[in-house]
Amino acid sequence: MMKRSKSLAALLSLAFILSACSSGADDQAGSNAQAQEGALAAYDETKAGGTLRLVAKGAAGTLDPQINYTLQFWQLYQAAYDGLLAFRKVDGPKSFEVVPDLAEALPEISNDGKTLTFTLRSGIKFSDGRDVTVADVKASFERIFKVSSPTAGGFYNGIVGADKCLATPATCKLDEGIVVDAATNKIVMNLTAADATIKYKLALPHATILPADAPSKDAGTTPIPGTGAYAFASYDPNNELKMVRNKHFVEWNRESQPAGYPDEIIYSFGLTAEAQVNAIKNDQADWMLDSIPADRLAELGTNNADQINVHTLTAMWYLPMNNNIAPFNNVKARQAVNYALDRNAMVKIFGGDQLASPACTFLPPGFPGHADFCQYTKGADTNSPATAWAEPDLEKAKALVKESGTFGQKVGIVVQDDDVNKQMGEYIQSVLNQIGYKATLKPISSNIQFTYIQNTNNKVQISLSQWYQDFPAAMDFSYILLGCESFTPGSDSSINMSGYCNKEINKRMIAAMELAVTDEAAANKEWGAIDKAIMDEAPVAVLFTPKLVDFLSKRVKNYNFSKQFYMLVSQLQVK
Amino acid sequence: MIAFIAKRLSAAIFVLTSISILVFLIFFATPGVDPAARIAGRNASQETLAQVRATFDLDKPLPERYLSMMDHLFLQRDLTSYVNRGAEVWPQLIQAIPATLSLVIGASIIWLILGIGLGVTAAGMRKSWVDPAIGVVGIIGVSLPVYWLGEVVNLVTQGRLHDTAFNWVPPLGYVPLTENPGQWFLSLLFPWLTLSLLYAGIYIRVIRGEIVGLMQEDFVKTERAKGASEKRILLKHSSRMSLITVVSLFGLDFGALVGGSALLTEVVFGIQGVGRLTFTALQNFDLPLIMATVMYAAFFIVIANAIVDVLYAWLDPRVRRG
Amino acid sequence: MTDREPAVQIRSESPGQIARATLAHDRRTWIASVLLLFIVLLTLAAPLYATYISKTDPFISSINGTTVIDGKEVLVLQQSTEGLGIGVNPIGPNWRIGPYALGADNQGRDVAARLLYGGTNTLLIGFTAGFLTITIGTLLGIIAGYSGKFVDSFISRILDVIWAFPVYLLSISLSVVLLTSGFKWGPISLEAGSLYLPILIIGLVYVPYVARPIRGQVIALREREFVKAAIGSGAKNRQIIFREILPNVFPSVIVFIPMMVALAMLTESALSFLSIGVQPPDASWGTIIKDGLGLLYTRPLVALMPGLLIVVTAVSLNLLGDAVRDALDPKARMRGAL
Repeated sequence: MMKRSKSLAALLSLAFILSACSSGADDQAGSNAQAQEGALAAYDETKAGGTLRLVAKGAAGTLDPQINYTLQFWQLYQAAYDGLLAFRKVDGPKSFEVVPDLAEALPEISNDGKTLTFTLRSGIKFSDGRDVTVADVKASFERIFKVSSPTAGGFYNGIVGADKCLATPATCKLDEGIVVDAATNKIVMNLTAADATIKYKLALPHATILPADAPSKDAGTTPIPGTGAYAFASYDPNNELKMVRNKHFVEWNRESQPAGYPDEIIYSFGLTAEAQVNAIKNDQADWMLDSIPADRLAELGTNNADQINVHTLTAMWYLPMNNNIAPFNNVKARQAVNYALDRNAMVKIFGGDQLASPACTFLPPGFPGHADFCQYTKGADTNSPATAWAEPDLEKAKALVKESGTFGQKVGIVVQDDDVNKQMGEYIQSVLNQIGYKATLKPISSNIQFTYIQNTNNKVQISLSQWYQDFPAAMDFSYILLGCESFTPGSDSSINMSGYCNKEINKRMIAAMELAVTDEAAANKEWGAIDKAIMDEAPVAVLFTPKLVDFLSKRVKNYNFSKQFYMLVSQLQVK
Repeated sequence: MIAFIAKRLSAAIFVLTSISILVFLIFFATPGVDPAARIAGRNASQETLAQVRATFDLDKPLPERYLSMMDHLFLQRDLTSYVNRGAEVWPQLIQAIPATLSLVIGASIIWLILGIGLGVTAAGMRKSWVDPAIGVVGIIGVSLPVYWLGEVVNLVTQGRLHDTAFNWVPPLGYVPLTENPGQWFLSLLFPWLTLSLLYAGIYIRVIRGEIVGLMQEDFVKTERAKGASEKRILLKHSSRMSLITVVSLFGLDFGALVGGSALLTEVVFGIQGVGRLTFTALQNFDLPLIMATVMYAAFFIVIANAIVDVLYAWLDPRVRRG
Repeated sequence: MTDREPAVQIRSESPGQIARATLAHDRRTWIASVLLLFIVLLTLAAPLYATYISKTDPFISSINGTTVIDGKEVLVLQQSTEGLGIGVNPIGPNWRIGPYALGADNQGRDVAARLLYGGTNTLLIGFTAGFLTITIGTLLGIIAGYSGKFVDSFISRILDVIWAFPVYLLSISLSVVLLTSGFKWGPISLEAGSLYLPILIIGLVYVPYVARPIRGQVIALREREFVKAAIGSGAKNRQIIFREILPNVFPSVIVFIPMMVALAMLTESALSFLSIGVQPPDASWGTIIKDGLGLLYTRPLVALMPGLLIVVTAVSLNLLGDAVRDALDPKARMRGAL
């Protein structure tokens, strides 16, 4: 069953990606992998060696792979840690596929999808020399709950026994959920219900396999041994992070954990984005994490074009609107906002149409379940949508505001206080003022804005936020962000910021998730229809699909971009 | 003498305690800074949130949390960050000290030399064009926002002219003195100049103003009557008396800078000093680190003030009785 | 022998008249006053400039807007067409009296118009905060220096707390609190964008900077012969403060005023860095510097101009301050400084 749906999924993702490719100028200019579809090029011994220097403004918190939830460190974990499964390490659309990692093969599915059986590969060692055993596997899953991983309740609550572990994490035992046999190296995972996305969840860093004696609390800055091609040597969050080759690593599956090229990876913290750009231009660093400041884009795009790589992300910038308080508890007001915003202007603020595309649907282009429609462009409406966004319609927006009876009300727009977000915010404020509101801009420190806008106690009316996928499944966008279960009033963790809860649509979403277990194609079609139904009510305003710009130094070669984890760090060649 | 020290000690403790309490209260009075959700991670379930609360004692009443934090900060010295979990706060702070000290001591030497030298010159040559010219230099120094100046300096030395005139400028960041004295000096050169410009401007004006005022004092007139030359009066007597103002200003400024108030300079030039640490802590709303850096800064303010008072008494005997 | 010369008539002038006359004859007074007046008039003329010369609304974003330069219609924000075609740049200055004389900012707004409007806010904050600092600082300095013992200790400790206090934390916290719920205390109501917020914060922060030196001077003065004589002769404290201490401290205070106003204007720009104080779409020279830092590599003028304006204002203030101080100091007159 799993194999069939795998090839189906592969076909589907391919189909969607191809359609996305034709609709926009996806893709890199500049140095590119010479990869065959589906695999990295063969390992080239002569290019191994050297020190890769990465720079970022700041570190990303804890180094513990089961707790850290940032793209910054997930990118590094790809080279240091492994789970039973992994996302294929390759450039291009196949990077959305799941391949076996520490497991010998994709699991056997039985019991109507509720039981997955894996066989652990033998002979793999942690970076401290010890062998990986099935006991380590069981302990790692229990550890997810013991350390209160952010996704313990969201992603891994389907494992039998998880509910008890969530209640009393300290003594978490998954004796029935994860049954292991040391003699045969078999791991049997029992779920309370079939889950179409379980394979993705097992490929995320939160499901990393760690030694059984890893500390039962957040490891913080102390590295935990892993099985990857690299190991973390040291971590000082104010200074630098160092990775070195894992002495005990022998490549067992090039698709999931390829051997790396640099001997050492040094990630320095502390430079501002402008300084990072200068550092790379002056050959003092090889790659920067932070976005290129707006005033350097043209310069780099002209003078350093072959050092720039641009890729579309399965992500979105959007405006959650509070559906429960004025003025956006009125659907006409929300639709007015959707009609009024000029996505082209916002794309311009982001850096131009080579760096972003206007968006109208909740699921981004190229994502499973995406359907092409747009109700909120000039000449279209919810009954006769267009296929894509073209132009704003200010007149209609003003009319809707008047009809809604919310004309003249005060609106506070909460944004992060970094440059790009503030610029977007100023533009949005300008537009809201034009259609008849009294809008004020409220910039808040980037570090607390995300939790601030989730808590209903703060009475946030409208805010600017971004969402990047966890894994390629429609529910990761639609259900997680707009499901009734994701809304908890009065809590800092209530990711359904709009407070949107439509019981009918919620039922449809849950049905679609169940349908995906047996028929992914039909499920994705249903997600597309759900998307349209949701956007008819306009709980949010979707703005654009961003692209990622990677700026590399002149000496770096062999750039590969995984759609799941972005640039493959260990594959960069610096010699 | 002992009574004096005891008085100063109790005053210091009073100041530090009040500041710590104020910081604590302000932090938790601010909506949205509750660390539980940020620590728990994005989209954490409510049970996870509750667990994190319990682990970090965030469900206990405020006074208990305050005392617990102070205990971990000062007595056990194992207080850990809310944001970089597991990272102890004291080692982070201690690591950052040499960078700030290097920056501040170097800059203060430059601005004292410039300030006193040019200030005295301006006062002495106040009938010529030199005085207003130096005055303009001073004013410009006072009027430039430090972070703006730093960015412009970077624009020139790291960006536009890096390949030509400024290719000897090392990349941004701090190189420890023990590691490479040459690079240490070069990497701090522009931060020194940038930081000292503002203070030099202030000191030039203050010293010049003080001296000019003092030149009219009675005791100076006595010296003149005795036949001393203007130059001698200037150098010997007026300079000494104007030191009072300079000393008190310098005490405040140096104390504040060592404690980390050069934070914008450190941020712009990528120097991993105490100021930068404070800035990062504030941006991250990382209470343990905020508390540690604020206490550290406050400590230096208080010490600096105490030293200034002692020097005051020494320089102006009339004050000792006060 | 010649006739006796008639006796020279001695005209007696009051110190105030002497001061005013000195001031009027000082070149610096005129230069400074003209500059300051010019700047103030410019900022007051902002609405006129926006309506008649720039012909755009400097508070509305104009991302896709166009303007006419040399007869051609051009986009105000232009996407790069070279290389990869990434990046969008605002148009630069065209140095003509008309729209976008100094170019556009990231939102497509006219920089020159915003500079003028911004000046009003910056000058307002600078002057008000500066005077607040001077008033409170001098007051505390005199009270502390003169009273000695317990009162001095108490005030000195308060000054220590103010000086050591993490102003940025307070500012950030306050702004988040106000963002959420505003602040109402009797008739005083503070919204997040209220200018009272930066004025109060900046005003308080620099109090120790003024108070401590003043306190030091007062302590020294207290021991002077003429003060001791006054005390000995039974004069009341208040009289001594007003007659002996204050006039001697006054010149120092005068020198501090322009410095504090300039520092206040600079601190305002630092706070704008943290998004406190003047809120978008309103402008101050500080917020324009902040906007300009994001454009430093392509349109450095946007950050340079407000900086220059701050410098010019500060220079004039200091010149004026010097002139006033010299005018009030009779001994300077005797030196032949006229």
